Amino acid sequence: MSATRKLLFLAVILALVASAGWLMAGDSPSKNPSAPMDENKKILHALNRFTFGPRPGDVAKVRAMGLDKWFDQQLHPERMDSSAVDARLAPFLTLKMSPREMVANFPPPQVLRMVENGRVAMPSDPGKRAIYESRIVAYNQQQAAKKDEAAGTPQNPQNPRAKAGKKANGNGDDAAMMADTPAENLTPEQLKERQKQQESAMYADIGAVQLLDLSPEDRYQRIIKMSPRERLSLGRSIQGDKVLQLVDGMKPEQRETVQAIVQPQAVVGGELAQAKLLRAIYSDRQLEEVMTDFWYNHFNIFIGKGPDRYMITAYERDVIRPHVLGKFKDLLSATAHSPAMLFYLDNWQSVGPNSALAKFGPEGARMADGGFMSPFDRRRQQQAKQQQQQAKNRPSGLNENYAREIMELHTLGVDGGYTQKDVTELAKVLTGWTIDNPQIGGPAAYRERAHEPGKKYVLGHEIAEQGQAEGAQMLDILAHHPSTAKFVCKKLAMRFVSDNPPQSLVDRMADTFMKKDGDIREVLLTLFHSPEFWAADAYRAKVKTPLEFVASSARAAGVDVQNALPLVQTLNRMGMPLYGMQPPTGYSTKSDAWVNSSALLTRMNFALQLGSGRLPGTTPNPQALLHGSSPQDSGAALAALEGEILSGDVSAQTHAVIQKQLNDPEVMQRKPDDPGRTPNYGAIAGLIMGSPEFQRR
Amino acid sequence: MSITRRVFLKGGALAVVGTSVVPSFLTRAVYAAETATAGTSKKRLVVLFQRGAADGLNIVVPHGESAYYSMRPSIAIPRPKGSEGCIDLDGFFGLHPSMTAFKPLWDAKHLAIVHAAGSPDTTRSHFDAQDYMESGTPGVKSTEDGWLNRAIGGIKEKDASPFRAVAMGGALPRTLAGTIPAVAMGNIREFAVGGRSPGAGATAASNSFEAMYEQSVDTVLHGTGNETFEAVKMLKSADPEKYTPAAGANYPRGRFGDSLRQVAQLVKANLGVEVAFADIGGWDHHVNEGSVQGQIANITRDFSQSIAAFWTDLGDLAEDTVIVTMSEFGRTARENGNRGTDHGHANVMFVLGGPVKGGRMYGRWPGLQQEHLYEGRDLAITTDFRQVLSEAVYGHLGNKDTSKVFPGFDKGSPKDFLKYLG
Repeated sequence: MSATRKLLFLAVILALVASAGWLMAGDSPSKNPSAPMDENKKILHALNRFTFGPRPGDVAKVRAMGLDKWFDQQLHPERMDSSAVDARLAPFLTLKMSPREMVANFPPPQVLRMVENGRVAMPSDPGKRAIYESRIVAYNQQQAAKKDEAAGTPQNPQNPRAKAGKKANGNGDDAAMMADTPAENLTPEQLKERQKQQESAMYADIGAVQLLDLSPEDRYQRIIKMSPRERLSLGRSIQGDKVLQLVDGMKPEQRETVQAIVQPQAVVGGELAQAKLLRAIYSDRQLEEVMTDFWYNHFNIFIGKGPDRYMITAYERDVIRPHVLGKFKDLLSATAHSPAMLFYLDNWQSVGPNSALAKFGPEGARMADGGFMSPFDRRRQQQAKQQQQQAKNRPSGLNENYAREIMELHTLGVDGGYTQKDVTELAKVLTGWTIDNPQIGGPAAYRERAHEPGKKYVLGHEIAEQGQAEGAQMLDILAHHPSTAKFVCKKLAMRFVSDNPPQSLVDRMADTFMKKDGDIREVLLTLFHSPEFWAADAYRAKVKTPLEFVASSARAAGVDVQNALPLVQTLNRMGMPLYGMQPPTGYSTKSDAWVNSSALLTRMNFALQLGSGRLPGTTPNPQALLHGSSPQDSGAALAALEGEILSGDVSAQTHAVIQKQLNDPEVMQRKPDDPGRTPNYGAIAGLIMGSPEFQRR
Repeated sequence: MSITRRVFLKGGALAVVGTSVVPSFLTRAVYAAETATAGTSKKRLVVLFQRGAADGLNIVVPHGESAYYSMRPSIAIPRPKGSEGCIDLDGFFGLHPSMTAFKPLWDAKHLAIVHAAGSPDTTRSHFDAQDYMESGTPGVKSTEDGWLNRAIGGIKEKDASPFRAVAMGGALPRTLAGTIPAVAMGNIREFAVGGRSPGAGATAASNSFEAMYEQSVDTVLHGTGNETFEAVKMLKSADPEKYTPAAGANYPRGRFGDSLRQVAQLVKANLGVEVAFADIGGWDHHVNEGSVQGQIANITRDFSQSIAAFWTDLGDLAEDTVIVTMSEFGRTARENGNRGTDHGHANVMFVLGGPVKGGRMYGRWPGLQQEHLYEGRDLAITTDFRQVLSEAVYGHLGNKDTSKVFPGFDKGSPKDFLKYLG
């Protein structure tokens, strides 16, 4: 143990002793709800609000450092070392990829078609080649299945499930993009039967068990040498935890290759979600993670919408993260210029009804640019245009989706004082903000030809015709609008203080927002220095969201996460799939969205699993949790664990209930007459993390 | 009264619960199970929400309107013609061709359709419109509870079943929020401490958690905790593991089919379900909506097949069941520039049930001529969604105080009903 760790340990012990004292005193909450918290509660409160929950020893660390200094450090994440968490993220190669690279590595159907047509060369790298070959076979099977289905009448009772399971997610391309995941669900019974036969035949040949017994390198080589059909069958027969076994021990590139073959959709989204959890659990730059989560959720994008799957890694990394503590206007502008957002809210397809593109097609007359044309030419042009329009599935009108959501959800708020007319006019302003080849991960682009000509009138402003600059002007107006200040600050206060934050606090924050040009760091400082934030009734006023609960549990228990996928799946079960919120509203941070029977049971079960080490991929670490001490007496163990997980602030009821369980051999896994064995710390920790207290922050 | 004796006779089921004291809800459930066989079972209302603003005009197609075809050149559903185009209902309206599962229900006069229905509020925000519809108070944001909770709130029950109000999904929907305890569940099989495969210690842990939440001073968590543990025990006694749907009830794969299968499971297990809620997302078709094929076809197929399977699965219990569907608003009458539709106004509602006088259209059709459109772009509303719901609450659930269910709404009394109930 190093000297600093020894000091830390001492500090923790002191903290525990101290906390035991204020636990007794703190049991009956202060009669004045707006009175400030005491110093210990303040530290715990700050840790609960500005991080994903305290780790063992954090309270003591902050006390030693001083709250103000600690907060200042959190406000400047760039000054903190991140090498530890970076090392944990290193295996996730997609985190550093551009959308184009992802498309090349995990090819969607469009790219596969290009390879088949010979327009793009088959990659020569054996790993990549294996992915492409397998996905092409899968794609062709899919197409054959679709044909079979189309041949049957819709009423065919043999085929009632044909398409029913398919998700329809707001975009036609989704059908194709999504098609390669739950494909099995969709194919007709006959085809399924045939595949099953092939699979069982092949299974007998390779013997999946044998495959899993090979060394990682041999396993990889064996998979790469299979025929594409064999590889696909392998993917279908290996599901769930077995997939983890299949890639266990492989190098990151190898793992991604095998995953791309067996679970192509899971690679990008899976790595992103795991990275998010690992950062939330292990990063020292906690406030940066909290704010990245907050702003991603504010400017939410759903991973399941077409090529957004390939765009949101870059979106979070390059658009959201650099600005989370910066200026709101930069954040707004960056999202508006991102292909991910332009695709998600359909703006890339929005075309001014009077634009050159709508009138003359992609390559039509130069008239819009001032050229001259005879009436005859014009008529011919018109006819050609109509033909073109019918021939091509080309967007030719306004799409209001983004214009509406940018005002309702990103800036002004639904009561921020805009009308349907403002929505339509803003949609016109934003015409031409599009994407070059979104399906292959292309960048955002401005296309003058699609831009609606003429003046626009939004929110009482006359916007002169000036192409893309109109949009920039409107974003500036929106970013600095008083309604935006109020709306954004209220949302921040709801995240950091309570579901119904005091108006005085929101007003003060909004005032800073307006005076400091939407500087988020300044707004958070105002929050931090406001009495409402430290008022007694703000303490544990927030119920944790599932993400906050899972991350804070892992942090409090000091577990070692080797594989975060089971944590990701837990969040799916709790109704909060990461990057999986389909509507643009993002997830609620209010308690009523998350407190219900089903969610509560899932939380308790997760707590028990995590504590007892039954959650795959996660190992309990009592050494970390108890700083190397190992109390033999179960009463002492309970006190120590309460001290760590709840910083000692446990209710008398919860304490009594667990105390009662301590002698239950079923819970403690030891015989009453065998006091020699150490208490089951995991079972106790599980009960504490499932308690009402731990559901709040 | 010999409830005690009956409970004793049913001891096999009670033994599973493993408590020495028989909880009151259980005696009631067992009692209900007995009386149900005597033919006095409960009336049920099942509410289905299509989230994302379904395109009612492509679901129940006004094929007798020429304006419909001129406004939707690429996404209109063709007029009925032999086995092609939409499925004709009455010579003017037709079902989307992928909704063949609904036709037998219409022919058997169980399925009624209310067109041009919706919320009078002018918002075109998904979030606000869903909120208003679920609270049952368009334009009023401060309403804290949902209309369906208020609907059963008026019917006082002693020892009510914790399954009186159930919702499928990870979160309790706004529609069911309120003072009457409501249970949300993602998956019946995992609804217990220890989950699907409780290991050693699960029972003890369950008891611990139960005690912690029962004694907690945290009002929010205390309430939910109590509801949860009561429901867990009751569900366990009903042994849902052994469930297989009725013959011919072919639920499509997917979340919505799963939800309805599990609602049927709870209803058939006689747990005292009075109102149930499920939702289906993915209707927000701004781009490439499709016509006879495509996104709208896929989702309407899933939607209609799931509901038809649910109906079949309920068997005789369908007699006492009313199912009503809704969506926050409709979509623009015209298609947009991306072969999709934007946010609109009125929509279509389905009402299906034993006591429903189906096989006919209800409500007044406002027409799609330019001058009839709401704000010059959307189907106008001629029936307030609360009129439809009030009738179900009043006539089917038997809560006559509809002014409490839909405060501020003056068309919730019998004189304004569409009279779709017998």
